[in-house]
Amino acid sequence: MSAKVEIGFNLNGAQRTVEVPREMSTLDMLREVIGLTGTKYACGEGECGACTIIVDGRSVNACLMFAPDCDGRSVTTVEGVVDTPLGERLRDAFVQAGAVQCGFCTPGMMVQAKHLIDMHDGKLGREAIKRGIEGNLCRCTGYVKIVDAIAAAAQPKG
Amino acid sequence: MGIAPEAQVETVAPHEARAPSSPKQVAKDSLIGKRIAKLDAPDKASGKTRYIHDMDLPGQLYGKILRSSRVHARIVRIDTSRARRLPGVHAVITAADVPYQRPLGVGKDHLPLKSDRVRSPRDEIAAVAADSPEIAAAALKLIEVEYEDLPPVFDAAAALEPGAPVLHEGKPDNIAMTFDYSHGDIARGEAESDVVIEDTFRLHYVTHCCMGVSGVIADFDASGSLTLYSQTQVPFLHKREFAEVLGIDPGRIRIIQPPIGGGFGSKLDIYPFEPIAIFLARATKRPVKLVYTREEEFAVSPTRQPVVLRLRSGAKKDGTLTFREVETLHDNGAYTSWGATTPFVIMQTISSLYRVPHCKYHTSAVYTNNPYAGSFRGYGNLQGTFAVESHMDKLAEALGMDPLEFRLQNAQEPGEVTGQGMHFKSCGFKDCLRTAAGRSDFQRKHREYRAAQAKSGRYKRGVGIASMLHVGGGAKIYPSDGCGTILKIDDFAHVTVMTGASEIGQGSETVIAQLVCEELGVPLDAVTVVNNDTDITPWDVGVHASRTTFIAGNSAIGAARKAREKVMAAAAKAIGYDAAALDLRQGMIVRAADGESIMPLAKLLRSLHFSDKAELVMTTHYYEPPSQHQDKGFKGDVSAAYAWASQVIEVEVDTETGIVRMRNVWGAHDVGRVLNRLGIEGQVEGGVVMGQGYALTEELIVERGVTRNPAFRDYKLVTAPEIPEMDITFIETMDGEGPQGAKGVGEAPAICIAAATANAIYNATGVRIYRLPFTPENVYRALREGGSKK
Amino acid sequence: MTADTYLAPKRLDEALEALRGGEATILAGGTDLMVQSQSGKTPIGPKLVNIRRIAGLAGVVRADGEIHIGALTTIAELLEHELVRTHLPSLAEACDHFASSQIRNAGTLGGNVCNASPAGDTLVPLLALGASVELAAKPDAAVTTRAMPLGEFIVGPGKTQRKPAELLTAIRIPVPAAGGVQRFFKFGTRPALDIAAISLGLVTVKEGGVLRHVRLALGAVAPVPMRGVRAESMLEGRRLDPALIEAAAAAARDEVRPISDVRASDWYRRELVRNMVKRMLTDVSQS
Repeated sequence: MSAKVEIGFNLNGAQRTVEVPREMSTLDMLREVIGLTGTKYACGEGECGACTIIVDGRSVNACLMFAPDCDGRSVTTVEGVVDTPLGERLRDAFVQAGAVQCGFCTPGMMVQAKHLIDMHDGKLGREAIKRGIEGNLCRCTGYVKIVDAIAAAAQPKG
Repeated sequence: MGIAPEAQVETVAPHEARAPSSPKQVAKDSLIGKRIAKLDAPDKASGKTRYIHDMDLPGQLYGKILRSSRVHARIVRIDTSRARRLPGVHAVITAADVPYQRPLGVGKDHLPLKSDRVRSPRDEIAAVAADSPEIAAAALKLIEVEYEDLPPVFDAAAALEPGAPVLHEGKPDNIAMTFDYSHGDIARGEAESDVVIEDTFRLHYVTHCCMGVSGVIADFDASGSLTLYSQTQVPFLHKREFAEVLGIDPGRIRIIQPPIGGGFGSKLDIYPFEPIAIFLARATKRPVKLVYTREEEFAVSPTRQPVVLRLRSGAKKDGTLTFREVETLHDNGAYTSWGATTPFVIMQTISSLYRVPHCKYHTSAVYTNNPYAGSFRGYGNLQGTFAVESHMDKLAEALGMDPLEFRLQNAQEPGEVTGQGMHFKSCGFKDCLRTAAGRSDFQRKHREYRAAQAKSGRYKRGVGIASMLHVGGGAKIYPSDGCGTILKIDDFAHVTVMTGASEIGQGSETVIAQLVCEELGVPLDAVTVVNNDTDITPWDVGVHASRTTFIAGNSAIGAARKAREKVMAAAAKAIGYDAAALDLRQGMIVRAADGESIMPLAKLLRSLHFSDKAELVMTTHYYEPPSQHQDKGFKGDVSAAYAWASQVIEVEVDTETGIVRMRNVWGAHDVGRVLNRLGIEGQVEGGVVMGQGYALTEELIVERGVTRNPAFRDYKLVTAPEIPEMDITFIETMDGEGPQGAKGVGEAPAICIAAATANAIYNATGVRIYRLPFTPENVYRALREGGSKK
Repeated sequence: MTADTYLAPKRLDEALEALRGGEATILAGGTDLMVQSQSGKTPIGPKLVNIRRIAGLAGVVRADGEIHIGALTTIAELLEHELVRTHLPSLAEACDHFASSQIRNAGTLGGNVCNASPAGDTLVPLLALGASVELAAKPDAAVTTRAMPLGEFIVGPGKTQRKPAELLTAIRIPVPAAGGVQRFFKFGTRPALDIAAISLGLVTVKEGGVLRHVRLALGAVAPVPMRGVRAESMLEGRRLDPALIEAAAAAARDEVRPISDVRASDWYRRELVRNMVKRMLTDVSQS
């Protein structure tokens, strides 16, 4: 039988304690144990970015991260991202730029976009944005408007 | 009748509060052609939207399917006893447990659970419902199946040979479907030709790769009525088909469509997983959720139809096309889904994209033990256009003509009725050609790159052009191509539009709302579109054939106009004006002549409820486009309008690796009219990149019936850094039948990309490649071999 | 039957004690382990030992003529590190082409080395740079360490000389001579998110136009990342000219042992090796 591991971590700003099987992915923990469904499963192998989350300030694929490894760390999902001023700006930019079609890749794109903007100090050109989202697949938009949205959100207003 | 007293508690809708206080001039505020954000985008971008994957019903079980481990075999024995005994397993079913199942799909040759024989490794043999997906998966491993192998066949041509293994009883020749079409007289066309060329084109397997994997939840209520949470693109047709397959009354099936993570045609047919989930729910009396893994999605989903297409074309010295003769072979796979019917679309491109006086077309879809193909954005047209537009370039070269001039000389014009009987009422084809060529400086580049072919150097540049014709006003495939709308306006002037049309991410919900706003003069946030529940919404034939904006849009306009008439009549009565002198703008009833506001629409509506003849504003409209059914020879006008596009592509070919970089795409699209600029740009950009994947990177590798690359690791979707620069122009021909003049656009942008890329690679290197995709190895090999001639 | 356990030691000696009895599966970034365990390729042992919490196992330092990279250093950290960018540009280049931003943020260098994929992105530059690996164990009261060249450490696809009780703690790379030449090439249609059909690493010193200390490494063309020793020996001590470049490129093509798979045929891999070695050498000759 797989051991259960009790872990405590900061999730979107609040402390959480959960018990998870040692082999469970962080994606399954978020979706099945905690019930936060904004983080999407689309490949389970780190090839599509739909499950992107931020852990201790760095974006990772939740599907590749063992849930017990969240212990003691700070985890931000799309639900947490949109609660920040940058996240709101990103959401508005995605909406206004037409970067959302079926929307399934969008939460992962939003989180990766936040990471990308956080890691750059304002200077974020289109080519850097494209490289920055190379691990996020989108089948609907052709990426143009996603790049538009991230470029717009990267420019702080005022 | 005077204005009735107001309700005791005055409630003001938010948009009403923003309406100008009278008296004041209210300007017309049209949304048509503007950049309108999608209504569902804020929730999607916040992670709030609940797809099927995110839904759970109380008491729900999880379903998993056991598939064949053999390619072609007789099932000798299935033993499910160990699986049944696994704790947490609630049902294990095989064909023997489902006596009433009927064959499903386009060919009605496909049982959901196979009883005595498997014809592909996709074949469903058994299914489990359990407390968790993990338990269900563990139970599958406990099912023992004994097979007796049968000889397989993996090549459509080989399947036609005498003595080939027969896949289906009653189909001794393995032919699943044929199409024959002709107009004119091929012999005469050939006799008149100064140039005749013939080539064979080979089109590969690709698959939809919707980001949301396939899934379904089936739930029976206590009285035996079924609610199906489904990703289907055709809910009303499926209601009937599910009833047939299950042997239950269609009236007891309700289909609810949660938002879906991509469609692209993949959900136009019934595939076994949905009936199987229903069988499991029926067996367990519990809701059953069945969701694929990505590997399953790759390994068992329908594909785009692979085609071997032999094309003969002729032309006269003066540049006039004379004839086209086509023979295609479609690998039908083990069962018949929509892929087999793609010739219906391919023949339209063959016969009618350009003026061709003599045309003949024959195709066979042949059973093999390979994957079966479904419908996929463009529906055969990518395949047909690849061949036709490659030949247009070759003919131009053989005649010593410029490829653009040659195309312009043979291009269709408005008013044309083609040999096939398609009537082009609006047609911006020549504008598309000239615009795409002009904006890309095509002719100069084409000459210069050709001249540079002989020069040494690792990188070669090339440009290619291709065009397409596709239905843009629905398609008469079913007995009706219509869509119904129910519209109600509540007493706060909030409009609810219940439409049969499904939103699958393409933005129809927003466009329908815009069209209604245009008629009723209400702001966008005063409209809710309900489009996902067969118990509520009126009938529609589904989201396919680039039809939704055109058909559902016209239907919504019809319902809105009826509502407007009712409102105006009531307003006229209430205010004492002639209805014709009134207008609706920004939620206000205004004087048409000068926009002088008279009263808020909401106020009038409330007054109707409280009058002695209380009335709700509620209307229905059913729209059926003015197209016809083709005759048995496929002659006739299948669509109310046709879409056109031309695309120029510039590539850079690395001759040392075979890597083709798509640098630029210049597209010109006859879309009738732009309704939502943001939405239509998104459709075109996404379609271009999907076409890029078809041309350059995507291939489902099938060896001996088995999919060898069922993961994004080795099935390569285009990623952000690879996309070309795009320059898109919309040609607005204002179609007389279209909603506000618009035509369909959903499929068009993907269609010409592979063809234009082939022509660009030829322009760069002097090597023509007749087989897709243009992966580095395929291109490198072709360059080494000097082109895969014939 | 004992229950499966999960351990996240904070000190190296604790981790080594946990590994002592064998039956342990080591978790670092998890990016390979998750996929391989779920597919059944690498079943997780009774003990799952997460080494991420071990202090002092991450970071890049320069000491004793070597650059010392802690096993837990992520690919993203390498890519951003000044020492790596300055002295190991070919490794930095490989890191830039490594998977995706998300995987670079999670995946570790130690993990990429221990995964021992023939197509492992960092292995080719590490091999060309003459890297060695440092392994630690605690057979009894004391921690012992040993080191070995990377080329010896990797013995087959997914197979290394690491013993079950050992932990790879660091990668050590001799600081390349100033003025040395480093090149890295990964074949693909994308900048990253791609498994290499082939990759090449070249490290050499150009002294007055003559090549010295030539090390050519090739990835995804044999069961393990390999050195192109025949091409190296043709180039060593020679001045690059078109004929030599052609000959060395042909030698490299002939000494690789690629397979055909869904990513490329063996023929195409050989062609790429020749063409890209030729291009790399031509580039070096012109620099």
